[in-house]
This record gives sequence, C-alpha cells and structure tokens, in this order.
Amino acid sequence: MDITALLLTFRLALVTTVILLLIAVPLAYWLAFTASRFKTLVQAVCALPIVLPPTVLGFYLLVGLGPRTAFGRGITHLLGHPLAFTFTGLIVGSVIYSLPFAVQPLTAGFAAVDRSMLEAAATLGSGRVDRILRVILPLSRGSLLTAGVLSFAHTVGEFGVVLMIGGNLPGATQTLSIALYDQVQDFQYAQANRTALFLLAICLIALTLLYSQRSTRGRNDLV
Amino acid sequence: MSDPFASSSPRLPWLAVEVDHRFQRGSPGFHLQLAFAAHAPRTVIFGPSGSGKSSLLRAIAGLLQPDAGRIQLHGETVWQRAHGSGGGIPVEKRRVGLVMQNPAVFPHLTAARNVAFALRKIPSPAKKEQVGRLLQIVGAESLANRWPRELSGGQLQRVAIARTLAAQPSVLLLDEPFAALDAESRQQLSQNLHRWASEHSVPVLTVTHNLEEAFSSGDEILAIKDGRITAQGKPHEVLAEERDQLLRAMGALLIR
Repeated sequence: MDITALLLTFRLALVTTVILLLIAVPLAYWLAFTASRFKTLVQAVCALPIVLPPTVLGFYLLVGLGPRTAFGRGITHLLGHPLAFTFTGLIVGSVIYSLPFAVQPLTAGFAAVDRSMLEAAATLGSGRVDRILRVILPLSRGSLLTAGVLSFAHTVGEFGVVLMIGGNLPGATQTLSIALYDQVQDFQYAQANRTALFLLAICLIALTLLYSQRSTRGRNDLV
Repeated sequence: MSDPFASSSPRLPWLAVEVDHRFQRGSPGFHLQLAFAAHAPRTVIFGPSGSGKSSLLRAIAGLLQPDAGRIQLHGETVWQRAHGSGGGIPVEKRRVGLVMQNPAVFPHLTAARNVAFALRKIPSPAKKEQVGRLLQIVGAESLANRWPRELSGGQLQRVAIARTLAAQPSVLLLDEPFAALDAESRQQLSQNLHRWASEHSVPVLTVTHNLEEAFSSGDEILAIKDGRITAQGKPHEVLAEERDQLLRAMGALLIR
C-alpha cells in the first residue's frame, strides 16, 4: 500500500477533525439554543454537504479560492500561493465537506442536555462558556465522540472534493481514496484491493466503535 | 398595593419585587402580577400549587424574564424592564442561591464535586475542607464520593442545597426544598439551613404549600393565589384561617 498516501490521509483526517470540532461546538451550541429565525437556514446550509454532489462543492471551492474571485486573490496574496492543489486547500474542502457529520450529532447532544442542569449551573455563577465546558460538553460526551469519529471517517473516505480541489499530487494532495482510483486506472488490482480493504476496515472499525458505545446507553441513532 | 420600592420603611428591604408577566404556554392566560417588599430574614411565600410561586422565584433568580417590572436585591436593582425593553444582571452574576424542587444535581460529577462546582477559585485543600463542612450541614457527609445515580431523591436535595450554599449567595430562594424528605429529617435540615443563613446574614425566601413548613420557617408570610399576593404579615395573622381549618380537620379525625 502507498504509505505516503496513507500518512497524508491520516494527517488530513486528523487536522480536519480537530478544526471541525473547534468550529462545530459553538455552532452546534447556537443551533441547539437559539430562537433566531435564521436557525433553519443555517441548519440547511450546514446539512448541504450531505446531499450536494462533492464535485459541486469542489468546483465552487476551486473557483472561489482561485484567481477568479476577490476572496481567492486575497487568500493567494496572503499565503503567497493559491490554496488550490495544496494540502491546506484540502483541509478547507474537507472541513466544509464533513461539517454536517460534526454539527448534527453535537446539536442533537446539546439539545438533549437537561435545561434544569444549565439553569442550576447559571445560578451557581457559571457563565455561558463555563457552562459549555463544565456541563454541556461532559453531558454530551457520546455526541462528541460520534462527531469526532464520523468527521474522521468521512474525511478518510472523501473523494470528489479532494480530487476537484487538490488534484492528484503524490505527497501533497493524493489521499488513499485517490491512490485507489489511480491504481485501478493502472490495472494494479492487487494493490488496489489492499487499499480498498484498508479503507473498508477503517470505516467498519469506526462505526463498530460508535455503535458499541451507543448501544450501552440504549441509543442506536448515530446522527 | 403600596409601592415596594418606596423608602418610607425604616430599613431597606432585602428584596423588593414588582412583576407583571403573562404566560402564553402551559396554564392558558395565567397572569403573574404582584408587588411586595421582604424585610424579614426568613420570609415564606405560601400558596397552593399553580399559584405562581415557582415562577416568582425564577424571575428573582433571573431564569425567567417577565414582561415588565423591577427586582431589587439588597437595594440594588438587578432587573428592570418596561413593556418591550429588556435587561438586567444575568443569572450567573446575581448571586441568588436557588434550590429548586428538581435538585438538578450534575450526573457527571460525584456529590462532593457537585458541591465544589462553584468553588473553582479556591485551592484544593481548602476546597476539600469547605465541601466537607457543607455536606455536614446538610447531613450528607457520608455521600461525598457517591454518584448522583446512586442517591435517593432526598439525598439529591441535600447535595443540591450544599452546592447552593457553596456559591455564597447573597440571598437564598428555596422552592419546596424538603419535599422529598421525611418530617424528621426535614426539620433537622431546615434548622441547619436557617442557622447557616443567619450566621452568614443571608436572608431566606421559602416557597411552600405546607402549612407546618410555613409556620416553622417564616417570620413573615406572603400568601399568594392565582398570581397575586393576597396577604402579608406575621404567620399567626396570615395563616390563621388555614390553621383553623387544619385544626378542625385534625379534630374531626380525632373524634371519629
């Protein structure tokens, strides 16, 4: 198996998961507790990557981050190079593509926290951030684990977005799923089979881990 | 009703409230509309369930934002709102110790860690000692290392009370806090709690529909019904009718 692609895939998934959790926790908190009329719109936008063809997302990212837009030109100027076809570009794409897999379990978990616990914490002098850190997050540990594992597994398994925005540069943007595509194109079926089996195993292990953790609490819904 | 914020009285009330709130959800058309000032360090709000007692406490603590009114604690306005506008000191800064009927003990922390929740800034050894002292006040020192899921309703209430005292509130609001306890432990706990309060000069507002509790934990009684204050005064004045009723009922039981 292609070790370079394997390491790159894991690095991408790990960085993406960490960034996603940092973004998703405040976002999910807002979604779980807001009474804003923009809530449903934000929910829809956050869920978009589930149904959107990855190529559509990849296409807009490619165009949006490229020299055709002011934003893309700004980023290019800031970094000294364009984001497309770089590892950083892959991270941007992955974070957006896996966003619903972090936001949705967290929103459900936060919303399920007993409000009286939060009220008690507030009367004890605990402010909003403190309540998130010391009450909401510990009480939704399961959702946090779900969000982390799903984000990781989904990033490992992405193909379309990565191909569109990252291309297929070994060592820079070639992930396992793209290496697999290459191997098949080159008729290296034995090698392709090893890559495919490995990806299959990762996803199966991740989901088994999640379901075993959920079933001990009598809950079988993942998202 | 006289203005609770008027400074005609010789000393400052520790609590002055004027609240006007209509509930859309739940009890349809329920209207909480009351104004009072509490001077007595042990004040009781006495009334049947559904009379608005808990909502009043939630408003004082800042968990409920009434449509209009004003709330003062120790002479400081913590919340004020004309119809439509909003504002006030947020719950976490009001230093109101609220013990609710639902003890809401954090399930992810042991009893001792629940009590220590508000003691973040205290160094570890002092914290441990403080937690031990508070658990002793509520008669729960043996429960320190137990998890909430292992505790009974009465034990959870004890832990919740100790946790509230740890936050060093400037006032204590108790919403039927001893409901899950038997008469004997209720009396003991109530005594300890009021002793702690008087030692720390913390006034206590107890909400109850229990006549005995109203008599034992109130120097002043506010009778509340359908969201309005119906009477305010000494226990034997305000609760005379209820007491007579109770005595007649007990008499009837004895004769039978």
